[in-house]
Amino acid sequence: MSVTALEQAPRALLSGWPLALRLVLREQRNGLRGFYVFIACVALGVAVITGVGSLADALRAGFERQGEAMLGGDVVLSRPHKPLDAAERAWLAHRGTVSESANMRAMARRVDGSDQALVEVKGVDGAYPLAGEVRLAGGAALQEVLRDGAAAAVDPILLARLGLKIGDQLSIGTLQLTVRDTIETESDRLSARLTVGPRVLMSLDTLRRTGLIEPGSLVGWRYALKLSGDAGKTGAGLRKFRDDVKAALPEAGFTIRDRRDPSPRVSQTLERLRQFLTLVGLTALLVGGVGVANAVATYIDRRRKVIAAFKSLGATSRVVFGLHLLQVLLMAGIGVALGIALGSLIPFGLVAWFGDMLPIRADLGLGADSVLVASSYGVLVALLFALWPLGRAEQVRPAVLFRDEVAPERVLPRPRIIALTLSAAVLVAVLAILSADARLLAFYYCLAVVGIFAVFLLLGSLVSWVARRIPRPRQPELALAVGNLGAPGGLTRSIVLSLGAGLSLLVAVMLVNSSIVAELTERLPAESPSYFVLDIKRPEIAAFESLVRREFPGAQVRSAPMLRGRIVKVGQRPAEQVKAPPEAQWVLNGDRGLTYSEGVPEGSRVVAGSWWPAHYSGEPLVSFEADIAKGLGLKIGDSVTVNVLGRNVTARIANLREVKWESLSLNFVLVFSPNTLAGAPHNLLATVTLPKDAPLAAEAILAQRMGREFPATTAVRVKDAIEAFDAIFQRIMVAVRAASGITLLAGAFVLAGALATAQRRRIQQAVILKTLGATRRRILASHLAEYAILAVLTSFIALGIGAVAAWITVVHIMHLDFVFSGAAAAEAIGLAVALVGLFGGFGTWRVLRAPAVPYLRAE
Amino acid sequence: MAQPVISLDGVSLTLTSRAGPVEVLRHVDLHVMPGESVAIVGPSGSGKTSLLMVVAGLEKASSGGVRVAGHDFMALGEDALALVRGPNIGIVFQSFHLVPTMTALENVALPLEFAGRPEAFDAARALLGEVGLSQRAEHFPAQLSGGEQQRVAIARALSVRPQIILADEPTGNLDGTTGKQVIDLLFDLQRRRQATMLLVTHDSDLARRCDRMVRMTNGQVAVETLACA
Repeated sequence: MSVTALEQAPRALLSGWPLALRLVLREQRNGLRGFYVFIACVALGVAVITGVGSLADALRAGFERQGEAMLGGDVVLSRPHKPLDAAERAWLAHRGTVSESANMRAMARRVDGSDQALVEVKGVDGAYPLAGEVRLAGGAALQEVLRDGAAAAVDPILLARLGLKIGDQLSIGTLQLTVRDTIETESDRLSARLTVGPRVLMSLDTLRRTGLIEPGSLVGWRYALKLSGDAGKTGAGLRKFRDDVKAALPEAGFTIRDRRDPSPRVSQTLERLRQFLTLVGLTALLVGGVGVANAVATYIDRRRKVIAAFKSLGATSRVVFGLHLLQVLLMAGIGVALGIALGSLIPFGLVAWFGDMLPIRADLGLGADSVLVASSYGVLVALLFALWPLGRAEQVRPAVLFRDEVAPERVLPRPRIIALTLSAAVLVAVLAILSADARLLAFYYCLAVVGIFAVFLLLGSLVSWVARRIPRPRQPELALAVGNLGAPGGLTRSIVLSLGAGLSLLVAVMLVNSSIVAELTERLPAESPSYFVLDIKRPEIAAFESLVRREFPGAQVRSAPMLRGRIVKVGQRPAEQVKAPPEAQWVLNGDRGLTYSEGVPEGSRVVAGSWWPAHYSGEPLVSFEADIAKGLGLKIGDSVTVNVLGRNVTARIANLREVKWESLSLNFVLVFSPNTLAGAPHNLLATVTLPKDAPLAAEAILAQRMGREFPATTAVRVKDAIEAFDAIFQRIMVAVRAASGITLLAGAFVLAGALATAQRRRIQQAVILKTLGATRRRILASHLAEYAILAVLTSFIALGIGAVAAWITVVHIMHLDFVFSGAAAAEAIGLAVALVGLFGGFGTWRVLRAPAVPYLRAE
Repeated sequence: MAQPVISLDGVSLTLTSRAGPVEVLRHVDLHVMPGESVAIVGPSGSGKTSLLMVVAGLEKASSGGVRVAGHDFMALGEDALALVRGPNIGIVFQSFHLVPTMTALENVALPLEFAGRPEAFDAARALLGEVGLSQRAEHFPAQLSGGEQQRVAIARALSVRPQIILADEPTGNLDGTTGKQVIDLLFDLQRRRQATMLLVTHDSDLARRCDRMVRMTNGQVAVETLACA
């Protein structure tokens, strides 16, 4: 580079870049040395975000492509209790081919009554399925199998559970059916509601003969349509059909889904999981940011004399800054590209290994949005952490060349650099918040990240500060360790920050997990029921209660009327136009359980307004759960319209209740005044609470008797339901824990990078100590003491922060009891010690093996 | 009759490099008596520093006999050598090699601490006084000038009152005036403590201040002369 060239470097930024660019390209002739950890840290975080995004993209693409098969048609209309009437049927038939099915929960029993299981029954007409397929193990067509009298095709799990085989009979309701075949695949299964038991398929006629379908029974009626002409081919056609339904059948109370989003519940869950795991990936990226900052700071320190030489030859600060900024961006670009390449491979690996666990077949591919989000995060986080140390590059003075270098002063970068750093931080936060549905939670996440980084930055500085000021320990090994902890430019801050932030997240996730598991498995409230029993006919409730009390004199039976209906209007707004936070929005998705009550239900407390008087007969009134009412923007006096049995019922909110959901008693969001719903045909829902010491065998006998005497009822064992949920929850937690583990891996990268940076200095120190007579044991002991102090301090603080974060999540967001798990805590501390031990131990091993002579010869 | 405190008999040192084995020392014989000061001179690459490292036990000879302070260095392992080196040998380097994370006082006290001496810091403070750095005791190496750093290094090398001082170009990184002050200090301390000194240098004036001068060429001892001769 000639002096003239530099003198000619114009002041304007834009014309300054080409020179900087030329210099960058010259610099890169030395390869990527010193930037490996930088690149690895960026690549890891970007890989997680890309991996999560591309898996979600793949599942979404799968959804869109397989939507028709998953739905069983172009459109599905569903509603509880009430099948189509003649007019509705005619209206739909005019618009395309219709297939009707009825879904309900029921008990399948062995014909000798010795065993029974909760099943999901689906009765189908002759047109089913209009799209997709039901494949049976025997290879026969479904319709052929079901046409043959009282026949059923069942999930093979049911046969195993009841000890039956193909050709055997089982009882459902009052009918005995022959099991003709087992189901291999059922393409529209996922779009149905959450399934709690194995599937039993039968014809609609057979289902009617079971005696389960009666007025008031909890039956979900489902109408799949293949629209005539091109109406089902385009989004506009599907939207028009939806509008037509609303206009022509305004009070039908249908929930309508079309093939563009066959299961909003599943796609919503996937979207939430994607957003959550993206934040976890971002955390990994931010932890890796510490590695980026270290790498840049080390690089700039190493180049002080080169920078001084540049400046002495006439380079402006702007050129120096531009050169190094370009270099950082180049490295970030390599990290981002590597991360995207790795991340896009993640779904392939997951599908290959865990394909069976995914809800649908994933269409592997990579969406532009996911790549954009991941690379934006990658570049922004790299800038966020690199700008500050880069800012020091432009402050190097050429005088460095002419005199012995003393320890460089740590001065603040110029205001412009500070502003740029803050802008990068704000952009990362804005991106995180705007791309989340639960924006408040994302905002809290950003606050938590800032808080955690601040705490560990302070802790790192505090450890260094204390180490410099405490009296020198008498043990030379310990004195060396303390000296290293307090040394300027030492490892303390990097290790504490990188390890602490990753570990805090892992501790929080583990403690939230253990609290939820404890809640699910150990901490069922003392008064929690043993069974939920559906579809007890009103006249039968006394006989049902006496049966239970005969078998278990101490048992308690509580019952409430149970209908299903859908909220169609919130105040004056149609429900589909209401945008509420996720914790309230779910109430508007599909149909809900409704009840009516003379008095305040057990487990509830009126917190606003007043309960209706006994024998009330005025305008329809409703009691609303307080938190959800708040989420929907409802207050006392507002109206709510519910569609029940194909009729819109509007009621005024008379009071708000606080509900103890965790009591698992008969809790409802909406409780109506009796005069509103008592006239509608309905059954009762009951809970049965058995004495705590009830023997399992006696429980089995009660279940058999209930089945025999009340064949239309369905009993759900609470423990079984909780275990089933727990199994699903654990699968999700595996993903969450794996993702959090990656944050710790990012911490490990930073740790490795920081140790590698310090390696030469440490070897030099060890060699000097050897010349002074120190044995290897002594050097090892001093390193061990240093690492142990750092690992233990960091893990205890991380434990504290993780526990507080978990406590806030569990108690204030999930409203559960917080359980501190000693095992989870020990695991976290063990991990920290192991990680530091592993990387530090490897570094020390190399320090001890390093020959002394090359380090002692004059440089 | 007194025994030599340093005895090298037919010492060879061969190092392996990518280009093949390099014979750094070839059949070197050297015997140094207690209290004697010996200058080792010679062109760059002649093996002067390697010879010093072998005597310090920091480099293991490929063959021959190395006996220092009554110990057979060829029979000792790395840690045993460190334990012999601690109380017996003080080393002064051209590049000072102070521990950067420790103050001047802590650097000087360190060998005494390794030796388990309870008065380590008092002795270190006294030594810093002897080298004229009492006011700089709490400064870190990066806060000291080159001459000051080398004086700390000399104080550290002599803190355990070693019977042998090994100095490798101790003035190589210092200007003339500072170098002279440092070397005066080194000789003064060596004589007062009656220590044996092996001094590697390019400076013939400096070499002449020693009792004896050994000239090395191509890894061999070429000439041994009395320094003042």
